Amino acid sequence: MSILTKMLKKKQVQRKNDNYRQKLDPSKPEELVIQKDYSANVSRIEEELGHSADLVIRQINIGIVNGALLFIDGIVDGKGISEFVVETLMDKQISSREVDVFQYVMDQTVALGSIKTITNWNDLYNALLSGCTIILLNGYNKAISGETRGGELRSIAEPTQQLAIRGPKDAFTETLRTNTALIRRRIKSPNLWVESMKIGKVSQTDIALLYIKGIAEEEIIQEVKERLQRIDIDAIMDSGYIEQLIEEQTFTSFPTTYHTERPDVVSSQLLEGRVAIIADGSPFVLTVPALFVQFFQAPDDYYSRFDLSTSVRLLRIISFLIALIGPSLYIAATTFHQEMIPTTLAIAIAAQRENVPFPAFVEALIMEVTFEILREAGLRLPRAVGQAVSIVGALVIGQAAVQASIVSPVMVIVVSITAIANFSTPVFAMAIAARLLRFALMVMAALIGFYGIMVGLMIMAIHLCSLRSFGVPYMAPLAPFSGPNQQDVFIRYPFWAFKDRPKFIVKGNVVRTGENQKPKPPKQSSHKSDKLEENES
Amino acid sequence: MKKLVLVFILIIFSIPILGGCWNQRELTDLALVLAVGIDKGEGDKKYDVTFQVVVPGNVASGQNGGGGQGPPVVVYESSGDSITEASRKATKKIPRRLYYAHTSIVVIGEELAREGIYNILDPMDRDPEFRTTTVVIIAKDKRAEDIISILTNLDKLPMNRFIKTLESAEAMLGENIKLNIDDLIGAITSPGKEPVISGFVLEGSPEKGTSPQNISTTRPPAMVSVDGLGVIRGGKLVGWLNNFHVRGAVWLLNKMKGTEIKFDFEGKKDAVTTTPYLSDTDVSVTFKNGKPFANVDIDTAFKLSEMDTDFDIEDPHKIEELEKKTSDVIKKEVEAAIKEAQKYKADIFGFGERIHKSNPKRWKELKDDWDNQFAKMDYKIQVHSYYRESGVRGKPFWSDMNK
Amino acid sequence: METAKISGKQLFVLVVLFEMGTALLEGFPVQLKQDAWIAILAGMAGGVLLFLVYYRLFLYYPDLPLTGYVEKIIGKWPGRVIGFIYIIYFAYLAARGLRDFGELLTATIYTNTPIFFLMSILILTITYAIQKGFEVLARVGEIFFAAVYMMAVIGFFLIIFSGLIHLENLKPVLESGWRQIMEVSIRQTMPFPFGEMILFTMILPHLNDQKKAKMICISGIVLSGINITIACIINIATLGTDLFLRSQYPLLSTVSKIQLFNFIERLDVLFMIYVMVAGFIKVAIFYYAAVAGTTGLFKFKNHRQVTFPMGILILVTAMMIASNFAEHIKEGLYIIPVYMHWPLQIYFPCLLLGIAMIRNRKKQKKAPAA
Repeated sequence: MSILTKMLKKKQVQRKNDNYRQKLDPSKPEELVIQKDYSANVSRIEEELGHSADLVIRQINIGIVNGALLFIDGIVDGKGISEFVVETLMDKQISSREVDVFQYVMDQTVALGSIKTITNWNDLYNALLSGCTIILLNGYNKAISGETRGGELRSIAEPTQQLAIRGPKDAFTETLRTNTALIRRRIKSPNLWVESMKIGKVSQTDIALLYIKGIAEEEIIQEVKERLQRIDIDAIMDSGYIEQLIEEQTFTSFPTTYHTERPDVVSSQLLEGRVAIIADGSPFVLTVPALFVQFFQAPDDYYSRFDLSTSVRLLRIISFLIALIGPSLYIAATTFHQEMIPTTLAIAIAAQRENVPFPAFVEALIMEVTFEILREAGLRLPRAVGQAVSIVGALVIGQAAVQASIVSPVMVIVVSITAIANFSTPVFAMAIAARLLRFALMVMAALIGFYGIMVGLMIMAIHLCSLRSFGVPYMAPLAPFSGPNQQDVFIRYPFWAFKDRPKFIVKGNVVRTGENQKPKPPKQSSHKSDKLEENES
Repeated sequence: MKKLVLVFILIIFSIPILGGCWNQRELTDLALVLAVGIDKGEGDKKYDVTFQVVVPGNVASGQNGGGGQGPPVVVYESSGDSITEASRKATKKIPRRLYYAHTSIVVIGEELAREGIYNILDPMDRDPEFRTTTVVIIAKDKRAEDIISILTNLDKLPMNRFIKTLESAEAMLGENIKLNIDDLIGAITSPGKEPVISGFVLEGSPEKGTSPQNISTTRPPAMVSVDGLGVIRGGKLVGWLNNFHVRGAVWLLNKMKGTEIKFDFEGKKDAVTTTPYLSDTDVSVTFKNGKPFANVDIDTAFKLSEMDTDFDIEDPHKIEELEKKTSDVIKKEVEAAIKEAQKYKADIFGFGERIHKSNPKRWKELKDDWDNQFAKMDYKIQVHSYYRESGVRGKPFWSDMNK
Repeated sequence: METAKISGKQLFVLVVLFEMGTALLEGFPVQLKQDAWIAILAGMAGGVLLFLVYYRLFLYYPDLPLTGYVEKIIGKWPGRVIGFIYIIYFAYLAARGLRDFGELLTATIYTNTPIFFLMSILILTITYAIQKGFEVLARVGEIFFAAVYMMAVIGFFLIIFSGLIHLENLKPVLESGWRQIMEVSIRQTMPFPFGEMILFTMILPHLNDQKKAKMICISGIVLSGINITIACIINIATLGTDLFLRSQYPLLSTVSKIQLFNFIERLDVLFMIYVMVAGFIKVAIFYYAAVAGTTGLFKFKNHRQVTFPMGILILVTAMMIASNFAEHIKEGLYIIPVYMHWPLQIYFPCLLLGIAMIRNRKKQKKAPAA
């Protein structure tokens, strides 16, 4: 580990850290100011953008003042530009010289969403490249930027990763604004604050930071901001980049940030005092702090009644354990602790393994790896071919391998149960952790049986207890244990008893549900129904 | 520092790879011993030990479906001056490591049992591999190897057959007791208690019982069945309790789960059969005239299961008579059992242990001469039986036909 | 000295797990047969009394561990010597705990595996935990506590449903007489495990709410005492006095007798999970105390510098303590209590308390005068 960090450090020294963030050096302010001569400005833009093909420049004349309208084709709403900008400006004729044309244009284009005045080249490039329309007028050392973002975008679709039987069916898209809108629509509170920043020296990706003022702790918000500002990378392609750059500890296979594509999940987490980070171009929204128990909470848990959701949640936890230790239990039981297996079963397994040439560990490894390959292949292949792969896989794993005496039928059962159990973890990031650790536990089991599994689990427990997510202990509220916070851990309390927000995240504003929320039958209801019956008869 | 830790971890984890895996053994490298038979040595060695090892391929349905062709178990013989010696010597013939964790039955030959069983129990008690719940039985009049070698039907594995027979006979007939090694040793070591071990007999020819013919015919030429309770005193088999003596003992030990009782009624011989199904026995030992005295109190509920004489079973007087007669039979059986045990001077009912618990001071005085004290002991038996039901019919179907 | 703070709940959990620890495995005074449980309760009462002594000392110096305040009480150099002796004592007990653990596994489940290998894996795991700091250890304790209790409840019901409990095995009560019971409890059950509370003098300064220390520790001692008593009673009732006397690990024998529905049997694994957790916590806390003491005494900057060498030391000691199990047990029963437990758990702390009281009285007298 130490060698690795040393190497990284050395490279950093050698690397010249090019600053792409600002095209122009802010230390020379005179270069940053927009010139009065509009044609000089236009040609400068053309030059600096390398005469890019998607840069559209249109000459406009407003009265006697010449000007230019600039935008990047494809990322702007073309219809909006023609309707609101071009038409409104072209129709009008200004005769008087006295009128301040700049102000006039600003007034006329008010039909657009947001209008800004830009005096600085950096802002101009930022606006232009993120889809704004720039109007340059001759004789003014400033520009107008109109919000015309648009173009071809994916519309809101159903979630593909986190499915729920009941509950809203919309999912985040790649557009930042749509995503914030999806949340804003759910929480119509003035306290929902959206802060934005740009990360990525080259990509200049828009990042939005969402939280509910008054619920989320200031310390956490500050911490998130600091960590985001510290990021120095050329581009952010997905929120996954951010996740890996703001994590507290990177040498862990457990996720310490939560990501979701469901706006309802993000909204409810904001209400629990968490902070959401949305990156433009990524349909996955991060929320922090993320805790271990959170990864076993599915959106359905809150949409169906508590008894059902509690039992389903327990099932999920059990299946996580199965996914984690299933194959290693098999290895340990068949190679170290044969006395544990009931006699008849032991004989049956022995009979099945009679013709298998490999030790149990190798057998398990072959099957697990085969399965992982199939899964990965199924994921990458085009949908049409994917089906074929799964059929072949089912035949290979299910039958041919058994008939060829490469693995025993019990092993097939173990692998399938493990695989299915693994799919029941609601968040993929946690499922993949179980997937990875499973192999480590298999090695431990092959080494020294249950003792190895126990040691493995203990190390895992120690590791989990040592993790923190934005200052909150990862295993809270289990360790450190907190009684009042068990409302949403193993048992999802009914909403009338589910009174508090998680207190280890929210310190001040903890009241979620008011008093006396337990539904009761209306008084004298029996009386009424009796009367009804009388009337009917 | 970190390098040191890393090196240390590497060394630790390379140990098992270098040294081979100590406790690791594949299931297919094990010979699962299902039953062990121990006999007095016929040759110059002290013990002849037989191991019934399962042949997995022939028991479980393999990969191609259906069991294999050969017999489900194979029996290996070995001899030695100690059990361990015999067990280790047996590996000369067995291609796999003998594995005892699935041994569920130990058969002791009668001849050996009469000479003493102390020595053979220790290795089984000591070895962590051996289950403490392993059942012990005695091969009555036969050598253990004969019983072990028999192939059985209904249950493919002979050891299952033994255990299930023991259990079903215990539940339905009450003429045997399933005793495991722990209880056996507990009874042997307890100063005021002697153990009883169920006996198994072999009916038919031992030679034919070992061939597949035994499971391919509807009437197997050789069969094993439960029969009698062996009375152990001082670690030696001193005699057998048979039939109703056994039942009396089972009643006394509070292990009765069900049996049948028939008696004469209204002058007709064996006219009524009842089946007690719930019972509770309370034994207390007090002192009468300075001598130990046992009070036995048995409560049982029974059903009427068969009647060969016609009477009104709704008549309370008749029911009372039924209850009384049932009680009388039980009482007689219990009395007979106590007498039989007193004949052997073996306190199989744990009267002594009861004195120890209720009156430790008196026990210290009695302890040394307990066998004789027990033989002279007086007792009082009280049985209360309660009639519960007569099945789904009242009168027998022929009661009106005869008129 | 680490600045980690733990909550009252965490301290309670640590006390209970620590006290129950290996005592549930082999702490039963089997020579008393069916009266063993009485000796445990008597030992617990003695343990509470001893703890009150430690607690008074803690009240005088709430910010310092034992190795810190001996220097203040009896002077710098004598205090350091005593502190060093305590560090050795803790390290030695950690080694003993480790050895107990290794012996148990090699005797029952891993019969062919070298004890060194089993012990070194455990010590590595513990070293990892201690490297992460005391807070992590306390949190891990909470998780293990839940695991142990869940298992204990499952095991308890399995034993009851298997019909193994024969309460008549507990009779006759007091057969061995009070005299012998008292002797055994002073020699055996009071020092181990209850007197080992001396170790918590090293940990109490970590507590965030120090007013609660007394209640938490005493209720922890009482709860663990009751648990050990219950376990002891179950063992006797299940095994009978004879087997209880002969078993090296009565709890294992009890667990392996469970047989339910013909397939729930051989639950040795359940037992092994407990062994692992118990061994982990017991050794880890002793180990931590030794590490914290060394860090404080020799003025190391960070406890992480000491952790790994101390781990190796404990491992090597555990290997060399005894050449076989019999020797190990004999030492534990006859030599350790008299020459180590009694002086370090009873005599020294009482002496220290006496001196501390006199000193503080002087101070108090001086204070109003000045």
